[in-house]
Amino acid sequence: MAKLSRHTFRSNTLPAITTVGPVTLWLAFFVAVPLIYVLIMSFCSLDEGYNVVFKFTLANYQRLLDPNYIQIYGTSLFVAFITTALCIVVGYPFSFLIARTTSKHKALLYMLVIIPFWTNSLIRIYGWRTLLGTNGWINNLLIMMNLTDTPVEFLFNRGATILGMFYCLFPYMVLPLYTAIEKLDKNLLEASADLGAKSRSTFTRVIIPLTMSGIFSGSIMVFIPSLGYFFVSDILGGGNSDVIGNLIERQFQSGNNWPLGAALSIILILITLLLVKLYQKLGGDMDNLGV
Amino acid sequence: MKKEVFTTKKAISLATAAVIAAGTLTLTGCGGSTETADGTATTLNIYTWTEYIPDSVIEKFEDETGIKVNHTTFSSNEDMLAKVKSEDDDAFDIIQPSDYMVEQMASQGMLAELDLDKLTNLSNIGEQYLDPSYDPGNTYSIPYLGGVEAIAVNTDMVTGEITSYDDLFDPQYASQIVLLDDFRAVIGMTAKSLGYSMSTSDETELAEIKEKLLSIKPNVKLYDSDSPKSALISGECSIASVWSAEVALAMEEVPSIEVVYPEEGAYLFMDNWAIPAGSKNVDAAMEFINFMLDAENMALILEEFPYMCPNTAAVELMGEEYAANLAKNPPAEAIETGEYIQNLDNDTLAIYDQMWTELKK
Amino acid sequence: MSRRIKSSIKKIAGIVFCTLVYIFLFLPISVIVANSFNATTSKPYLTWKGFTFDWYVKLFDNSSLLASFGATIAIAVISTLLATAIGTIAAVGMYKYKFRGKSVIDGLLYIPVVIPEIVLGISLLTLFSNTHIPRGMISLVLAHTTFSTPYVIFNVRARLSGYDGSIEEASMDLGANRLTTFKNITLPVLAPGIGAGALLAFTLSIDDVIVSYFTNGQVKTFPLKVMESIKSGVAPDVNALSTLILVGTIVLVILTQSNLFKKNK
Repeated sequence: MAKLSRHTFRSNTLPAITTVGPVTLWLAFFVAVPLIYVLIMSFCSLDEGYNVVFKFTLANYQRLLDPNYIQIYGTSLFVAFITTALCIVVGYPFSFLIARTTSKHKALLYMLVIIPFWTNSLIRIYGWRTLLGTNGWINNLLIMMNLTDTPVEFLFNRGATILGMFYCLFPYMVLPLYTAIEKLDKNLLEASADLGAKSRSTFTRVIIPLTMSGIFSGSIMVFIPSLGYFFVSDILGGGNSDVIGNLIERQFQSGNNWPLGAALSIILILITLLLVKLYQKLGGDMDNLGV
Repeated sequence: MKKEVFTTKKAISLATAAVIAAGTLTLTGCGGSTETADGTATTLNIYTWTEYIPDSVIEKFEDETGIKVNHTTFSSNEDMLAKVKSEDDDAFDIIQPSDYMVEQMASQGMLAELDLDKLTNLSNIGEQYLDPSYDPGNTYSIPYLGGVEAIAVNTDMVTGEITSYDDLFDPQYASQIVLLDDFRAVIGMTAKSLGYSMSTSDETELAEIKEKLLSIKPNVKLYDSDSPKSALISGECSIASVWSAEVALAMEEVPSIEVVYPEEGAYLFMDNWAIPAGSKNVDAAMEFINFMLDAENMALILEEFPYMCPNTAAVELMGEEYAANLAKNPPAEAIETGEYIQNLDNDTLAIYDQMWTELKK
Repeated sequence: MSRRIKSSIKKIAGIVFCTLVYIFLFLPISVIVANSFNATTSKPYLTWKGFTFDWYVKLFDNSSLLASFGATIAIAVISTLLATAIGTIAAVGMYKYKFRGKSVIDGLLYIPVVIPEIVLGISLLTLFSNTHIPRGMISLVLAHTTFSTPYVIFNVRARLSGYDGSIEEASMDLGANRLTTFKNITLPVLAPGIGAGALLAFTLSIDDVIVSYFTNGQVKTFPLKVMESIKSGVAPDVNALSTLILVGTIVLVILTQSNLFKKNK
C-alpha cells in the first residue's frame, strides 16, 4: 500500500504545508497579528476610563515629540552605545584569550561565562545593589583601606544603569566573538607572521576583519536589548535614568495609556529595523544572531 | 570546528540538565504541600498592595475556611487598574483600591455592590471611617488600612529642622532624599508645599508646581514605592517622604529616625477591600473581607504593617504603646488637615505625566 | 627586553585580565550565596546577623516560592517541547521545499530574535487581552514558545547546511516512506542541532523576565517571584533557592566535565 502511493505523495505541496504550516500559523498569530494590532492601537484614542477606543488620532505621535521624551530616547541610545562599546572593549580581548588559549581547561573557561547565566538575572542585578550601596561591600572595603572617608555614591545614577546593562549583556557579546575568533585559521595567522607582518598589523589587517561578523552580531545582541531592559534602570538607576523600555512599561502599567505605549513601541521597532538594516548592509548574516 | 561547537553546546546542555534535575528534585520533594486537600476547593484570587498582608494571616484564613487563596500584588493603583482591565472579568475576586480609585472604578461599573449584612465584623470599624466621601454608604468598599505621606528624618545625619514638605526642597539636602515612585504622591506633595490642592487642574498653578517640582531633582537620590524604608535603614538616604508605616518600620530599626507630619497638611490615603464586578466567588470574597475585619486578625496584621487602622477594635487590642506611637497611629490633627487625592481627567493626567517624565528623565 | 620576558609579561597580563573579568561576573553571585546564610530576619535583609542554614530549611516551607519554581520548570519544559517540534519540522521543510512566501516567513522568524523583549511582551499582552486567551500558564507557554521557536529553527538550519539530501533519496528509493525516512535518517543527523536549539529555548524560558511580566496573569514564575521579592529586599530563602540551583548546576557540570575532556582528547 505504501509502495503504491509513494509516487503520488512525492508532490511537494502537502509536505511543505505540513512542515512549514504550523510555524507559519504560529508566527502569523503570535507575532504578526499582535504587532499589527500595536500599530493600529498607536493611532487610537483613550476614553475617560482609560479604555482604548478606535477613534483615529495622531495625538500619541505628537506626544512622542515632547522634548522630555526625545531626551530619554537620547539618553537611552547613549546608554546602549556605551554599553555596547564597553562590551566590545572588554569582551574582545577576553574572548580572544579564552578562545585561543592552549590550556586544557578551555571548556571550563568557556563555561564559567555561561554559569552566571543560570542564576536569575534580577537577583544578580540586585546583588550589585548590595555591593555598591552606601554601606555595601565595596564601600566598606574602600573605607577599611582608607581610600575614602565618606562612602562613594555608586548607585542610582546613569553609571549604575550602564554597569547593570553591561553586566547583563556581556555574555551576548562574548559568545558570538568566541565563535568568530575560534573559527580563525591558525595557519592563516602564522602565514601572516611569516610574511613579515608585525603582530599589530596581523591583528588590524587580518584578525579584526575576519572576526568582524562576531563584533557586528554581538553589538546587535547587546545594543537592542539594552534599549528595553527597564528592570536594570529600575533597580540600579533608582528611577533616575530611564531607558525607552521604562517609558513603554509605564504606559502599559501605571500610566494606563496603551495607545501612547504602543506609539513608543513603534519608535523602538523603527530603531530596531534601522539597526538591523545597517547590520545587513555591513555584511552581517542574520543567522548569526540566533545561534 | 565541529569539535569546538560540540564543547560549547555541551556546556550549555550540562547546565540545563542540572537545572532540570534541581527542579525535579524540588518538585518531587515538596509537591504534596502545595496541593489542597480536596480538588474542588474554591480558589480566591486576591490582588493587594505589596507589603500589606502577612502570609501568616492568609494562611490562617485558608486553614479556617478551607478556601485556597492565590495572592498577587501591585505597587500602585494605576498598575492595579491596568491589570484588572487587561485580564478577563473574573480574574480577580478581591482587590484593594485606594480612595480615589474606588470612586473611579465604581463609576466605570467595575466594582460589585457589597451586601453589608454579611459583614458581621463591620462594627469594628470606627464610625468616623465609615461612609467616606469617595464611596457614600460603603456601597462598593470597606476600609482596610490607610496612612499619611509623612516625612522621616534621620536626626543623626540631618542638621536642619524639617517641619514641612516645603523644607524638602531646600538645596542643602542634595542627594539625601528617598521619594515614593508615585507621580500622584510626589506631585501632590509639591502642590501642597505651594498651598494648592493635590489634584489641581488649574493651568497657572500647574505651571508653578512643575517649576517647583523640577527643583527637587538634585535632592532626590532614589524613587521607591515598595520599600523606601530600605534606603533609610541602610543609610543610603537620610530623609524620606513616604507612607507613615514605612517610617514606623524604619524607626524600629534605626532609633535616630523621627517622623514629621508636614505642616501644610499631608497626603492622606485609605485603602479598601472591594470585589470586582466580574468575580464568580462573591460569597468566599465576602467571607475573606469579614475575616479581615475581625479585630484579632487585624491586630496580627498591624504587628507587621503598622498603618493607620480604621479598625478601632484592633487598635485597642494593640495596647497603649501602639496608640501612642506617632508614626503607627497618626495624630488626629494630621488626619483632619490631610487631603485625599481626586481623579484627574485625561488632559490633566497628561500634564501630570509630562511633569513626572521630565522630573525623572 | 628579551622576547621571552616580553611574552611572559603578556601572558601574565592576559591571565590577570581574564581573572578580573571572571571576578566581575561572579561577584554578584557571591552576594547571593553569602546572603543565603545570613541569619537576619528583618527586611530588607541587609545587615549581617550571623551564619545560619535556616533558610535552606525554611525554603521548603515557602510553598509559593516552590510553586513559582515548579511553574517555571513546567513552562520551560512544555514551551521547549512545543518550540522544538514546530521548529524542527519547519527548518526541515524550509530547507527542502521551495514555495512562495518563504522570505516572509524568514523575516517573521527574525522578529522575536531582534526585537526588544518589551515590544514582544506588550504586543502579546494586547493580543491575549483582546482575544480573551486565558492569562496564566497557557499564555506563558504560548509566549515562551513564540520567542524560542526561531532559535530552534536557526540551530537546526545550521546543522542542515552541511546535510546531504541524497541519503534521504536513497532511503526512499529503498522503499521507506517519508515518515520512516525522517525518523531513521534525517532526525539522527539533525539531533545535535535540535538539542542545541532546545537547550537554548529552555535557557531563555527559565530566565525570562520581561515577556512573562506582561503575559503572566496571576501565575508567578520564579523570575517574577524574584522581581516581587526585590521590592522589599531579596529574601534569604530566595537566595537559598538560587544557591541550590547554582550548586546543582556546577556539581553536574563538574561530574560530566572529566568525561568531556576524555572525549576531546
